[in-house]
Amino acid sequence: MYGWIWRHLPGNAWVKAFLSLVLVVAVVYVLFQYVFPWAEPLLPFNDVTVDNQ
Amino acid sequence: MAVGVFGELLITAGLVLGLFVVYSLWWTNVVADRAADKQADKVRDSWTERTTGGPGALDTKNGIGFLHVPAMKNGEVLVEKGTSTKILNDGVAGYYTDPVKATLPTGGKTGNFSLAAHRDGHGAKFHNIDKVKKGDPIVFETKDEWYVYKVYAVLAETSKYNVKVLGQIPKESGKKKAGHYITLTTCTPVYTSRYRYVVWGELVRTEKVDSERTLPKELT
Repeated sequence: MYGWIWRHLPGNAWVKAFLSLVLVVAVVYVLFQYVFPWAEPLLPFNDVTVDNQ
Repeated sequence: MAVGVFGELLITAGLVLGLFVVYSLWWTNVVADRAADKQADKVRDSWTERTTGGPGALDTKNGIGFLHVPAMKNGEVLVEKGTSTKILNDGVAGYYTDPVKATLPTGGKTGNFSLAAHRDGHGAKFHNIDKVKKGDPIVFETKDEWYVYKVYAVLAETSKYNVKVLGQIPKESGKKKAGHYITLTTCTPVYTSRYRYVVWGELVRTEKVDSERTLPKELT
């Protein structure tokens, strides 16, 4: 999977490395900004009140 | 080939879970502290402003005051109305409106000023609740008054359905008569939400805020 991505990135090794970095940052951003805030309330780690339904 | 892809997916899943831990225990604190600081500044500003509006209209939108618990070593915690996830995720303590309505000390009536805040993540404002011992002060600061409470009972573990701890006379703390109580609730053990941790205090005295906002002796 990662090999496939690497082969399909354009340019030489340096350009590929740079683009990979951009991709990683983009994925982390999407996770922190959208995926985790959505997933968190579904997980039972952060209920602090009594009688939390 | 298929095995390789499967292995990479497993590695990816591991990394995502690791990132989720980073998110929960670090990033949510960054975001929450930022939001809390902003709202706290607004409250402080509104306190120093000359009141031009209606007579003594209590603005509860951005918080009603600050909680100081020296034993928790986390400075001041803004107190807002409500204990919904949305409010508490801003790194503040919320006073209960449901299932039992908190009695605000500002009204002067007897009752229980019940509060909740996060133990971990989202500001983790009650993270050090286990450091609070009997006899420790809890000070609630409003625009004009310091309310000095003294901790008299701690319940290290109780069911999350134990609504009675919020009662106007919290019987489990040993009290039988009406009084001015404060109740702090959060989850326990750390990093989970299995049980609730409760700290009870009783009002010792109130002090007028002077022009320099001199701290009461409990906070110095």
